[in-house]
Amino acid sequence: MDDYAIGVLTNIGLVSFLALSAYLLLIAGEMSFGQQAFFGVGAYAGGILTAMYGWPLPLAALAAMALGALAQLLVGLPTLRLRGLYFAMATLAAAEMMRILFELVHFQRAIDGEAVGPDGTQGFRGIRWVFAHGVEPIEYLAIVYALLVLALAGFLLLERSRLGATLRGVGEDPELAAALGVDVNRCKLGVAAAAGALAALGGVLFAHHNTYIEPRNFDIMLGVHSLAYALIGGLGTALGPLLGVVLDIGALEGSRVFQGYRMIVFGGLVALLLVWRPRGLLDERTVRWVKQRFS
Amino acid sequence: MIDLAQNTLDGLFLGSSYAMLALGFTLIFGVLRRVNLAYGPAIMLGCYAATWVHLNSGAGLLALAAVAVLCTTLAGAYVERLCFAPHRQGSAIAAMVASFALWMQLEELATLALPRHIYPFPPLHGGTPLEFGALTLRVESLVMLGAAVAACAALWWILYRARFGIAVRAVIDQPGAAQLAGISVPRTFMLTFAMASAIGGLAGFLVAASHEQVTPMLGMMFTLKGLLAMMLGGLGSLPGAVAGGLALGLLEAHSQWFLGPQARDLIAYALLFILLAARVPWMTTRSAS
Repeated sequence: MDDYAIGVLTNIGLVSFLALSAYLLLIAGEMSFGQQAFFGVGAYAGGILTAMYGWPLPLAALAAMALGALAQLLVGLPTLRLRGLYFAMATLAAAEMMRILFELVHFQRAIDGEAVGPDGTQGFRGIRWVFAHGVEPIEYLAIVYALLVLALAGFLLLERSRLGATLRGVGEDPELAAALGVDVNRCKLGVAAAAGALAALGGVLFAHHNTYIEPRNFDIMLGVHSLAYALIGGLGTALGPLLGVVLDIGALEGSRVFQGYRMIVFGGLVALLLVWRPRGLLDERTVRWVKQRFS
Repeated sequence: MIDLAQNTLDGLFLGSSYAMLALGFTLIFGVLRRVNLAYGPAIMLGCYAATWVHLNSGAGLLALAAVAVLCTTLAGAYVERLCFAPHRQGSAIAAMVASFALWMQLEELATLALPRHIYPFPPLHGGTPLEFGALTLRVESLVMLGAAVAACAALWWILYRARFGIAVRAVIDQPGAAQLAGISVPRTFMLTFAMASAIGGLAGFLVAASHEQVTPMLGMMFTLKGLLAMMLGGLGSLPGAVAGGLALGLLEAHSQWFLGPQARDLIAYALLFILLAARVPWMTTRSAS
């Protein structure tokens, strides 16, 4: 595989974590415009820990995930009772605040005579753990996909479990779920923590793939894209968001057929697709049909 | 003291452009219960069309304003047909994501036609700002305020005095009953959308003329400022949209002066977050799920 293909595939993997994070909230009935913030928290935290304090990447990734979960819990505690657009706008406000904070942070240390660390709008360069430890791009690709498979396995187990059914119940009709004895608030907080951790993991991997991050990477475009991926791919299974990412980044960026007209073609196709399938390609009905055919 | 007065004036002028954007958002949200993320990019397309005409002909300001309003309205009608008409009974999230897809499309269309990062836009008034004692006033600002007042007055007359307005308010309050009373709901949607787009196109033209330039960032700016102003004033309320727009303008003008541009945006978003989390009564009266 050439470097370009490896780069595109790695990007698909990274963004998939964010799409899964948006998907998890969607099936629990919440639409977030702000998952990019936790992706950003993961990227900054992971980068700071490896590049400035010499932590090994796996440990830094775990710490960043914990931080992402905590950050989303903090945003979720006062806002998860809000519905629909109110929640979406609250998460958007939180994410934009976070992005502006990234612009305001100047926190650097001298490493080998070179200032390393976040430098406001100038970004944060020199996140070189992967390069410094001799991890080849193809190996990094394998690591990203191994983690993605792990996350997917978690999702597939969840979908088969009682907890998964409970989550979908909370998403469909919170009042009914509460009447059946489900602690809706606790459920949603759990979902928020998991979604924050997933987004943060994607962010850590993104920072170490790019070696350079800046606040602009984490603007609302990224968040709404991840929401769109989840919805295009379908809300019936965790494979849906992945399909959405692959369709956008893979098929169109990879082929370069529509260069210059990419968003005109893709935007129109997405709008038409949603007319035909308002809950995505792999929606609940399709998934049920496939399960019945093959079980 | 004079700074405070000057900032308050500037904030009111800035806020009147936000108020117009919020009015457009609110009209659409009121009748459809859907958020149109492509509202800002449609306005941006209108501004780009006017810029293109300006660069390729000697058209006057009035003609440019007409082009901006017309193209925004056409783009708005396209968004309505593709994103909102098919999802009228269905999923609000699907409609919103579809409008985001068209956001990308409209933005790329505009930047394909005019690919540079900045294009000049003719100012309304080339001369120096007017001075009243120590206060300075730009002609653009006065026109903006006048346009906002005129838009509010026209909207009030249409909604509360004209026959069509009764239909719109009936659809906002009771879509089912309105349909039974013989009001064509799809037609009302379409016309409301056109009205909202026309207001947005006018606001966009005035913003471009007062910045004296257009950039690809306009689309996102119009959408975010309009959404923010609409939410601050209370979802779905027209007087609230005007109040929210003016409040946002005043807040931005003062915080930019005292604390700088980054703090300006930070404070606006922090205020929105706190008001939402506190569930202040005027913001949570309308169903938005």
